[in-house]
Amino acid sequence: MPAPCSSSPAIEIRDLCVNRGGAQVLKNLQLTVNPGEVYALLGGNGAGKSTTLAVLMGFLRPTSGTARVTGLDTASEAAAVRGRIGYLPETVALYETLSAYENIAYFLGLSGARPTRSEMDAALDAAGLQAEARTRRTAGFSKGMRQKVAIAMALLREAPVLLLDEPTTGLDPVAAADFNRLVSGLRERGTAILMVTHDLLGAADCADRIGLLAGGVIVEEARPRGEVDLLGLHRRLGEAATG
Amino acid sequence: MSPVLRIAANELRLLARTRVAQIAVALVVALSAVAALTAISQGRESQEIRSRFQAQADREFDGQPARHPHRMVHYGHFVFRPLPALAGFDPGVDAFTGSTLFLEGHRQNSANFGDVRQSSLLVRFGQLTPAFVIQALGPLVLIFIGFGALARERESGLLRLHLAQGVGARQVLAGKVVALAAVAGLILAPALIALVWLALFGGAPAPAVAMLAGGYAVYLLVWVLITTSVSALAPSSRSALALLVAGWAVSAILAPRLATDIALAAMPQASRLETDIAIQRDLKKIGDSHNPDDPHFNAFRASVLKSYGVSRVEDLPVNYRGLIAMEGERLTSALFDRYAERQFAGQREQSRMALILGLASPTLAVRSLSMAASGTDLEGHRRFLQQAEAYRYTIVQGLNRLQAEALTFSDDTNRNRDPEAGRRVRIDPGAWRRTPDFVYRPASTAEALTAALPGLALLGLWAGLAGSLAWGAGRRLARGAG
Repeated sequence: MPAPCSSSPAIEIRDLCVNRGGAQVLKNLQLTVNPGEVYALLGGNGAGKSTTLAVLMGFLRPTSGTARVTGLDTASEAAAVRGRIGYLPETVALYETLSAYENIAYFLGLSGARPTRSEMDAALDAAGLQAEARTRRTAGFSKGMRQKVAIAMALLREAPVLLLDEPTTGLDPVAAADFNRLVSGLRERGTAILMVTHDLLGAADCADRIGLLAGGVIVEEARPRGEVDLLGLHRRLGEAATG
Repeated sequence: MSPVLRIAANELRLLARTRVAQIAVALVVALSAVAALTAISQGRESQEIRSRFQAQADREFDGQPARHPHRMVHYGHFVFRPLPALAGFDPGVDAFTGSTLFLEGHRQNSANFGDVRQSSLLVRFGQLTPAFVIQALGPLVLIFIGFGALARERESGLLRLHLAQGVGARQVLAGKVVALAAVAGLILAPALIALVWLALFGGAPAPAVAMLAGGYAVYLLVWVLITTSVSALAPSSRSALALLVAGWAVSAILAPRLATDIALAAMPQASRLETDIAIQRDLKKIGDSHNPDDPHFNAFRASVLKSYGVSRVEDLPVNYRGLIAMEGERLTSALFDRYAERQFAGQREQSRMALILGLASPTLAVRSLSMAASGTDLEGHRRFLQQAEAYRYTIVQGLNRLQAEALTFSDDTNRNRDPEAGRRVRIDPGAWRRTPDFVYRPASTAEALTAALPGLALLGLWAGLAGSLAWGAGRRLARGAG
């Protein structure tokens, strides 16, 4: 396994093309996310957001071009790449007959990690899951609670790269704000974060850069911390979504 | 702990916390345990009954008073096939063929020509034996527990979460296989305990027990691999369940029935009635010893007179009526043997064809292996019939020889007219006691294992196919996660 280059971007996508079902979903996509940077990828349905994540996770092989995570090629070194990624799916699935602790211990155990109870508590505190819920079976957990468990997993893995798939969809405003604060905290720790989302305001709140993906290419990129026309961006996002 | 074992351990933990799985496994293990206990107790009981009745039949034959030897030929004798030590585990065709024969002169028992081929799993549904529980119910429980192992996790996103931890799709599949195999081991455990008990205390040969244990383990492993693979390949957990249940119904219920029917249709055998009519027709052709103009018996008489150098049967140093009885028995037995051999050959061909059809179902393959290793296959029944027939021929010809050598022709001819002659033709009962008892010689362990080899080979083939399916399913699973 080639050693990752510390000076290289955490995520580097070059000329990425992906064909699925006879259609070209990604067309020469270029994207870079550096350590300690939050990149929000916005786009309508079918824009190619989930495909981008699938390529980065090594679930999909590019038709052409390359995708690298911490310098590792996602196509040829998929297992190693996954070991460096914390992944938060849109709908967090957990084993419902296991508690939050048991879910975390099991999934992290698969990657070789052995978190202690106090380490798990620290991560769950950071994620905001109430202490009384941690020993309960997750069958009755809300989406937000599940997400907090998944975030705790990502924190415990100390992965240099975090991929977030629609992380605030279905969360109430308070939970969404908490989540955005958590993302900001992770950025401070040097984690490179790529989130795909429909939530422009949420993205503007925590992202360093926002990319507007449409038809498989990034048609516009903005830095919300500088001067940005959110309303204009929102309008263009809507136009991109409707084609 | 490796990821595969970690996934397997977690799967078992989840099963242990799922009530439906708990109930299903508990039920089938309980059924298996009850079947195993029943197998042990019924086997012992049935063997005791057969031994007791055989001893009683021997005593009654030995205890007959002084009689004319030909009366004893018609008195006949019952013989019982001793139950193989593993018959309780898998009764095979025993329940359909019967294990008792009535032996008498001039006739071969009708069971030789019985329609023993008709056994099928449908008929055997009434028998709760370890073999039935593992062959039919074991796979069904594995299907109900395992159909969602991967399909449901793919639907819920849990599979992706696994892969996101850096675990390979094949490792996930392997973990599920190991967990389901552990459940299969649980289902198999009571039967294995019963087999070990039968080997230690029931006289069952250890190699046959090992063959059965190995064969059933491979059989359940085949179902574990198929169930997990279909769960990985099917578009949804619901379709996985539908596919697997349909496959089970075809393999465990339909295929055994169809295999029998196809073999019967491809190689039809004469019915019992047709055979009986044909035998009667041929018997008439043999000749009639009472007919003074019968060409065969006239020639026989001429050859006997010539070999003894006399011109009249009255001058023979032996009782000619005894010689006639011996010759008649020789001819009829040869005829019966010809028909029996023809029938056996046809049945062997049918069995061979049914075994080849076992390619279509692992249940057929394990059934063949199980009956052969247990000594309850059709070959075992044929062995009993042939040995019983040889015994019948020996005692009948012994009694006929006694008639020829111990009785005079004159006394034998006048026994109904002259009371003194009638008294003299009654042989001392010690002669009945000197008649040897029937001793059944079962197939040797080597023969039983050899007979089980084709079934084992078919199971091995199935295991290879199921393993390849699982390997391919692992590849598809990785792609499906994207």
